[in-house]
Amino acid sequence: MTLTSRTRFVNPRLGTYFGIFTSLLVGLVLLLLIFEQLGISEGILRWVMLLGPLALYAGIGAAVPTNEPIDYFASGRRVPAGYTGLGLASSAMGATGIVAMSGVFFLIGFDALWLVIGGVGGFVLMGVMLAPFLRKFGTFTVPSYLGRRFDSRAVRLLSAGLLAVPMLLFLAAELSMGAYAASWLSGESTALMMMLLIIAMIATFVVGGVRSLNWSGSAQAIAALLALFVPVAVVAVMVTNFPLPQLTHGPLLRALVGQEAAQGVPIVDARSFTFLIPDQSHAAVAKRFTAPFGSVGSATFIVATLTVMAGVAASPWLLPRVTMTPGVYETRKSLGWATVFFGLTMLTVSAISVYMRDFMSDLVREHGASIPSWMQQLVDLGFVQVDLSNGPLALTSFKIARDAVLLSLPIAAGLPDVFTYFAAAGIVAAAMVAAGATAVALANILAEDVVGGASWDPLPTEPRLWLARIALVGVVVLGGVLALLAPTDPLRLMFWSLALTASCLFPVIVLSIWWKRMSAFGAMAGLACGFGVAVLTILAGAADVLGLTGPLAGLLGIPAGTLGVVLASLATPGPSRNMLELVREIRIPGGEVIYDREMRKLRLKQRDRT
Amino acid sequence: MMERKERKPYWKHTKWQMLASVVPFLILIIVLPLYAESLNTEKFLGFPLGYFLSAHGIVIVAIFTIASFVNRQDAIDHWHGAHEDT
Repeated sequence: MTLTSRTRFVNPRLGTYFGIFTSLLVGLVLLLLIFEQLGISEGILRWVMLLGPLALYAGIGAAVPTNEPIDYFASGRRVPAGYTGLGLASSAMGATGIVAMSGVFFLIGFDALWLVIGGVGGFVLMGVMLAPFLRKFGTFTVPSYLGRRFDSRAVRLLSAGLLAVPMLLFLAAELSMGAYAASWLSGESTALMMMLLIIAMIATFVVGGVRSLNWSGSAQAIAALLALFVPVAVVAVMVTNFPLPQLTHGPLLRALVGQEAAQGVPIVDARSFTFLIPDQSHAAVAKRFTAPFGSVGSATFIVATLTVMAGVAASPWLLPRVTMTPGVYETRKSLGWATVFFGLTMLTVSAISVYMRDFMSDLVREHGASIPSWMQQLVDLGFVQVDLSNGPLALTSFKIARDAVLLSLPIAAGLPDVFTYFAAAGIVAAAMVAAGATAVALANILAEDVVGGASWDPLPTEPRLWLARIALVGVVVLGGVLALLAPTDPLRLMFWSLALTASCLFPVIVLSIWWKRMSAFGAMAGLACGFGVAVLTILAGAADVLGLTGPLAGLLGIPAGTLGVVLASLATPGPSRNMLELVREIRIPGGEVIYDREMRKLRLKQRDRT
Repeated sequence: MMERKERKPYWKHTKWQMLASVVPFLILIIVLPLYAESLNTEKFLGFPLGYFLSAHGIVIVAIFTIASFVNRQDAIDHWHGAHEDT
């Protein structure tokens, strides 16, 4: 008989608290706008815009200390659906999704849609096939779930080890994107900003663990979304007199189609297996915006969409978040909210790139051979390179850095500088949400499953929480060191991490719920095969042996993982009655959360002993 | 808590609901971008239709899919007595 009652557990003042936070943030931005007009120095404005919100997040994170495992690892199971969905969407997208994707949309238009479709599809899959069952099981980490489901410490350890790889890749990607935005904002070096981010993350998350992550993460997500929506809404009002950029960029897009044809932007017809995603260097507009399959072929579009769907659905940094809701019904609803927030943000990102293309195309149409002041400003900032030598300007004379498109829009529109600083601060916030989610999930895996994985009974409360905190500090530092030592394109790291998760974890975790016959050997085989084949495919792609780079590695990895599970399960003895009963229990939403029941029985056993 | 004999019908019902939610969605996300080029000549709300369906359309379909899944699955849970006590 479950004891959780939604009305009793969820804090009714959440809306008030986040309303206060949003007001503080909006007040800060308005104050800085006023100060900018009053002539306060640019340096002060930039530093306040960087450090002010960081202090707010750290304040929220430090205001929720924890000393119970259910609070530290699952936020007390008190997070309502909307906030969980907000956290899921922003952790899936991260700063990389917002910044790199606005550049990718700008450069290749329609062909960037597979990430959007894959993301919303991933949340649909997670909501229908995975999340409610994991919430019913209720463990704090994915390897704990796999270990208990198959009653096998080997599965627990193997999954912990293998899942650490994509999580570290994504952590490094987010930290480097966050450090890039912070160093642009403050003017200091990337390494120094990486240290600042690491200290900020430790200060924010270490006190309350997942509880801090959730609430300060919601604040960070609100900040990131505001920083994304507000400048482009202002631009939308300026250009189309209506503030909803996601909907109003339609007529703009049709006008753009005509202008692109007039300016000679090529229609490229790619072969089915092309996959040309722009990297971080400066590049000219590659093809017409709405023309499909110019840089990405139709077959690779579908494969990449499906891999991203599987990768997002089984993300080991997103799945633990679904256990924080008060119940299974709330979990299903939270995935709905995640789809809403993710879709809305991605549509905004594509709107940003359309407005940017519109500005560039107006420039070419109106200015002939000279460039206006905003373009000169972009050139001075290093965002754009112009080639003036070939006579009259065309769209292809401009080479823009992929990761600078988001920050270029407020400058191109002539907005006050504070809007650009706000956009950069929003990028830092988005990086902190995603990096925080990954770091905390990985630290919990290290503490619970690697160090504590020797026994099914968890450590006593205090050492358990302190171990998790120390692991968090270690993981954050490790992620920062990785990001600094091996600087790779964050978007590529994100693709690798999605491909690895899709191949390694997705088949195993889906079949663990939906196929009763699956055994522990099946799990181990699935994890190992999926991971191995994905890694080999990615390496082969990097060495140009096989053209399946990035998310296309899922084409081989997911079937390999599934085959591994199926063949190994069929070849080994079937599951015991206990395990079958466990699976039947996972499939029913009602009743006590399985992990909570285990912990309750453990506490009773320990009480009987003393 | 659900009766033992309801378990099999409950799971059958749930499995079919899962397929009914996921399969149409998968079909749409594969088919819509493939037809985008030919649909781009039409327009909707000012957007080229092919682009609108592949971007906004798929997002709306996804939200609709998961919203209807949440409602339907909750109804299934209540029908078989498998729902949570709140």
